[in-house]
Amino acid sequence: MSNMAGKRSVWRTDWRLYTLLLPGLIFVAIFTFYPIGKMLAMSFFDWRIGYRQTSEFVGLENYSQVLADPIALRALVNTLMYAVVTVPLQMALGLIVALLINGITKFSVTFRLAYYFPVITSWVVVALLFRYIFSNQGLLNYFLADVLHVVGEPVGWLSSRVPALVVAMFLGIWKGIGWNMVIFLAALQAVPKEYYEASSIDGLNGRQQFFRITLPSIRGTLLFALVMLCIGAFNTYTPIAVLTGGNPAHQTEMVLTWMYFQTFNVTGKMGYSAALSIIITLIITSITVILFRTLARKGE
Amino acid sequence: MRRRMVLGASTLLLVSGVLGACGGKDKDASDGPVTIEFWHNYDAGSGQVDVLEKLIKEFEAENKNVTVKQVYLEWEALKNNVVSGASTGTLPDVLRGDIAFVPQFQSLNVLEEMSALSDYKDAAAGVLESANSTARMGDKFYGIAANTNTKILFYNKTLLQQANADAPKTLDDVWATARKASGGKTIGMVEPWTGVWNVGPYIWSEGGDVLAPDNSTAQGYINGPIAVKVIQQLADLYKEKALAGSSMDPGAIGDTDGWAAGAYAMELDGPWREKSNKEAGVDYGATPLPAGSKGSISVLGGEDFMMFKTSDDAHKKAAWAFIKFMTSKHAQVEMAKVGQLPVNKEALSAPESIEAMPLLPVFSEALKTAKSRPVTAKWGEMENIIATKVAEAITGQKAVKTALDEAASEIDKLIAGK
Repeated sequence: MSNMAGKRSVWRTDWRLYTLLLPGLIFVAIFTFYPIGKMLAMSFFDWRIGYRQTSEFVGLENYSQVLADPIALRALVNTLMYAVVTVPLQMALGLIVALLINGITKFSVTFRLAYYFPVITSWVVVALLFRYIFSNQGLLNYFLADVLHVVGEPVGWLSSRVPALVVAMFLGIWKGIGWNMVIFLAALQAVPKEYYEASSIDGLNGRQQFFRITLPSIRGTLLFALVMLCIGAFNTYTPIAVLTGGNPAHQTEMVLTWMYFQTFNVTGKMGYSAALSIIITLIITSITVILFRTLARKGE
Repeated sequence: MRRRMVLGASTLLLVSGVLGACGGKDKDASDGPVTIEFWHNYDAGSGQVDVLEKLIKEFEAENKNVTVKQVYLEWEALKNNVVSGASTGTLPDVLRGDIAFVPQFQSLNVLEEMSALSDYKDAAAGVLESANSTARMGDKFYGIAANTNTKILFYNKTLLQQANADAPKTLDDVWATARKASGGKTIGMVEPWTGVWNVGPYIWSEGGDVLAPDNSTAQGYINGPIAVKVIQQLADLYKEKALAGSSMDPGAIGDTDGWAAGAYAMELDGPWREKSNKEAGVDYGATPLPAGSKGSISVLGGEDFMMFKTSDDAHKKAAWAFIKFMTSKHAQVEMAKVGQLPVNKEALSAPESIEAMPLLPVFSEALKTAKSRPVTAKWGEMENIIATKVAEAITGQKAVKTALDEAASEIDKLIAGK
């Protein structure tokens, strides 16, 4: 009872805050929670979107269809491969660049700008550029075959699954370094200089300082970047849509490109796509929880 | 906690109320002025939208109480807007779109059965029967042909000359010429996709098919000996680098760019290729698809006019009047001048049309034997299965017979299913 009364008094004193929060809450409810709830419901139906059509409840049918679909599983494997390769690499490269820029006193802004530039350019534009570079008659093959004569005939960089995914990963990493650099640079600049001074007196060399002071100090930022990038990797759509369109024969699909294909290219497999979305949501949520559990705990 | 749940529940109620109120569309049921909405994907770049606007003005002058509001949407947006508008009823009164949309939209239960209109037969008698067959499902028509097209064989004269090859006369010639013309940076043939739109003509011309005539099964058709032989031929060509296309090889240069760059020697393609080749300054020739052992059977493309159940009677009446106007000789000749192959029989042979489209006689010839892809519910899904399996077969990921067997059983599952 006393607990109840306490809550009530909190409610009374904070009503202004709650009122201020309400518009945002309504907005989030309409555009985030409602669609998620609706999608969860759709995933259990053979969802018909036609005019005055009724949808049939099919239980877990959509889920078993997704799990039995070799292309969906391949798309999932492709996405996981993309995440496993691009996330650590762009973080490592971003950190290295941040450390270098943090160490220089002149032209710092110039370098920051240069590395951040890929981040602000449009995904579509850079993906198209990559396609022109890596296509059969593209820039890279021109250099390799016609200028340097190291290959007899053009290399099909985008022609089959693994090379095409590597090109997409390369694009993802190249475009992601700048974002990581900016985030890590901010974290590095927040590390108190005294730590380094004190540790130099204690005789720590640069490498020891990096592992014992720098890394532990920016652990929170690293975790943040890791989680954001993992979520981002699962949201990869544009690079594949532009570079290969999921071709050849759906070999290079990502979960999102496959979902789009099932929803719109094949008219109305809404239930299937909803089930696929829910499965992806579950995967992303578990990855995030695991990362927080294992990494955040250690920091405490 | 309970507070939060109450708050959450009331928010959800509010949300569903707001969303519920968004549906519906106000319609005037009276006989007064009517504004019909017309969705289309006429090509603005080649002046078709300008012609459309001119035609609409003429139509409005003849029908004082009707206003036509035209909305351009590109191919994919046109389809997606109907798909997403279906549940809320936010649909146009008339749509002019790909013939492939007819079965897709019919499965959404949005199309008005046009053959139920009292004078549909008269209107349909004026247009090409083959073109109009694309609007038929069972014994009902859910549209009327708007314009048609089919694919003919375009070849790059310069490249064939360099390879010492003549324009092919038979389908076997086509394969031989493709091999002869390939080498260096030149590829004999290009097929941008591997659906029935692309491989159908070759299979049909050799006497095969993709589905049974009554669309009851794919077993023994898409994986029948003729289809297997044709796809094997394409797989061999692909291996020998005499065939390319972006859905088989995403690194391949696109067909329009490839024609302009002189990378491709031949392509089975529609009327738009005439225009793009002219613009790119390609020295090209064209002929109906050279005959296989069972003739020259190309694939029917084009667009149909469709009407929607969601319109009220006054709008339907105005919509039908507009459709009849658009399929009349006058409107069809005007559209022919900007590159739309007419379906109106009189417009098809009108000298003005032929003057505007020098290849019209070649297309008319091909249209005589051209075949429509199966018009059946879930056809979109079936063609995607075929496209995927054929691409797997051509690129050598699977043996041809295995891939096509898989296609047949997947399609039969679709036919048997809901």
